[in-house]
Amino acid sequence: MKVANVSCFAFKFIRLHKRELCRARTVGQCSATTTQFQQDSLPVHPSPFNRCLGHKLHRRYSTESSVKDCRGLIYKKHGDPSQVLQLEPLELPHVGAKSVLVKMLAAPINPSDINMIQGTYAILPDLPAIGGNEGVGQVTEVGSQVTKLKVGDWVISRDAGLGTWRSAAVWKEEDLVTLPSDIPLLAAATLGVNPCTAIRMLSDFEALKPGDSVIQNAANSGVGQAVIQIAAARGLHTINVVRDRPNLQQLTDRLKAMGATHVIKEETLRRPEMKELFKMCPRPRLALNGVGGKSATELLRHLQNGGTMVTYGGMAKQPVTVPVSALIFKDVKIRGFWVTQWKRNYSQDEGAMRAMLDELCSLIRAGKLSAPACAEHSLQDFHKALDAAMQPYTSAKQVLVM
Amino acid sequence: MRGFFRGVLRAQRLWVQGGGPGWGAGYCHWRPIHSCSALVYRRHGPDLDQLRMEQWDFQAIGPHSVRLQMLAAPVNPADINMMQGTYPILPEFPAVGGNEGVGEVVEVGDEVTSVRVGDWVLPVDAGFGTWRTEVVCEATELLRAPRDVSLLGAATIAVNPFTAYRMLHDFQQLRPGDTVIQNGANSSVGQAVIQIAAALGLRTINIVRNRPNYEGLSADLKAMGADYVITEEELHRTGLGLILQEVPKPRLGLNCVGGLSGGLVLSHLDSGGTLVTYGGMAKKPLQIPAKSLIFKNISLKGFWMTQWKRNNRKDLHLLQSVVDALCAMLRSGQLTPPRCVLVPFQQYAQAIQATVQPHQPKQVLLMQ
Repeated sequence: MKVANVSCFAFKFIRLHKRELCRARTVGQCSATTTQFQQDSLPVHPSPFNRCLGHKLHRRYSTESSVKDCRGLIYKKHGDPSQVLQLEPLELPHVGAKSVLVKMLAAPINPSDINMIQGTYAILPDLPAIGGNEGVGQVTEVGSQVTKLKVGDWVISRDAGLGTWRSAAVWKEEDLVTLPSDIPLLAAATLGVNPCTAIRMLSDFEALKPGDSVIQNAANSGVGQAVIQIAAARGLHTINVVRDRPNLQQLTDRLKAMGATHVIKEETLRRPEMKELFKMCPRPRLALNGVGGKSATELLRHLQNGGTMVTYGGMAKQPVTVPVSALIFKDVKIRGFWVTQWKRNYSQDEGAMRAMLDELCSLIRAGKLSAPACAEHSLQDFHKALDAAMQPYTSAKQVLVM
Repeated sequence: MRGFFRGVLRAQRLWVQGGGPGWGAGYCHWRPIHSCSALVYRRHGPDLDQLRMEQWDFQAIGPHSVRLQMLAAPVNPADINMMQGTYPILPEFPAVGGNEGVGEVVEVGDEVTSVRVGDWVLPVDAGFGTWRTEVVCEATELLRAPRDVSLLGAATIAVNPFTAYRMLHDFQQLRPGDTVIQNGANSSVGQAVIQIAAALGLRTINIVRNRPNYEGLSADLKAMGADYVITEEELHRTGLGLILQEVPKPRLGLNCVGGLSGGLVLSHLDSGGTLVTYGGMAKKPLQIPAKSLIFKNISLKGFWMTQWKRNNRKDLHLLQSVVDALCAMLRSGQLTPPRCVLVPFQQYAQAIQATVQPHQPKQVLLMQ
């Protein structure tokens, strides 16, 4: 587990400043300045082919770096996040040749992060672990053999389990991927999980053309909002199911402003109004389910013959009820999607990940995709952030901003 | 006067019945009328007492049609559902029951080249109405069966073994040594799955309900080629642990029960596996844990042989090739017909009633 590597070593390794030595293999890689050479008593660079025998490394930090006081949210056992998470100082390891030092900028709190801490998620890090699987950071130092990243780059992780609820980290270059830094910070911080899930589900299961419809529950979730916007950009109708609530009209207006075609409450799915709705747009070929239980069964009922329902979450903590007749006579397909698995399957396919992120960033730049409403908190205020994240009917993504 | 009315009624029946796919429009035509015995129903109902043996008229053949004598026709669950009115395709009334069976061609139209007199034939599509002694239909509604297989084999090849064959081929790329798990293993499809899988070098894990003669059943299925036979209860209690020391985790699960049993099959699938549902004998929906879909990437699909045949309706060669492959297995003994009870056509009522009882062998009506 990648989290284990970083978190275990964090406590053991030397601090960055004092004893860090240049390990450049050739003169060309050595970043020392003349001044430092003169100060140093060690012989350096007798010939171009000799390895630098060491001198105090000229630090290539950005001047805004505050990684000295690295802190993170650590848990040593699984349980209720508000009980088991602690904010603790972290010692950062040496930036190895193929690693980079990253100053975290912002990291959201997602349901899967909560589940990981609770111990109910499908993949669990070795403990102790740092919470958080998503977020954006800025590279402030690169190791000598790093080729794809440079100082100043914005990066997100390629896989889950990195532990993003921290102010800084040293990670391997290969575990990170760049994002352009000309998109809003919160969009970058919340790009890697939900919008990626949304775009993959809209792309990989049914061949959808402009004018086709998609139906989804949990429409107000991070994934749901991304689906609305990406679908709208692709000319697709969305039928968005949300739970009833006092300020439903406000929610409806907000989602429609984002591009939702229809916003209906769960109860409406079982009512004759649906017939009227389907006079205005075609029956959906694709259903996206983040809830489970009866909600999912109702989505199935409205799916076109031969259509697919993709399950990406189970917020109701109930199984998906599938009538046998839907499978046999309506030929519906029931599938699941896990963005972490997709990233792992395509970990060697740089092009696939890049293409997906580029498409999402283009949508962001074009104003067609924006981050969900976010409530920002400092690392210190993590308790408030967690409590808010675990409330039902939250209408904002809780984001830790370092 | 009575004769007049009878004549009118006869003409009307000519208009309605036709010799086509069992129901729907025919044409009113003063041509020589043939008559046969048929099991007819004019309403839906749960009790199945609406089925009556009647004299059934049909017109003479045209240039593209064929007259055949039905030899044998099984009673399948879908046939019962059609009579009850619970099936998604329902014939118009009056309807002749039965969707599967084998007939012998006795007369061919002038322009028919695909079949000859004496050929054994099987209907391509559902709704043919096989529970009758004679049929007139278009030649394109028929597939050929070889005459060198058993009558019972031919009569029961085109629905259940066909379903088994397609499910084993169309959903997962399976290689010899791979494992398939199924419930309802003692059903006709289940038995065909066991045998076809064995012929393909696949291993099968077969779930059946517990019953008084379970040991005998288990021995029968193993003799047919089942690798493992296990009851629902035992699987629920012990899991597959010991079995999985010998065979790989199954990537294909076949479900005709639904409910808890379907969920049990699903829970034992390997990551990336597929559960194919082709029946719902327990009349209960499947309850799928989200984790199976999200983290184990299990797919759920359905299979409806009638739909598959309709999708491939224009490709009679493809349909015929499946029948040929299955009949070759019959010939070689790799596939044997299910244990059947042969019922003379006149005693149809007992066959129908037996079909709706649990744990009964397949009932096959014999017309000749």
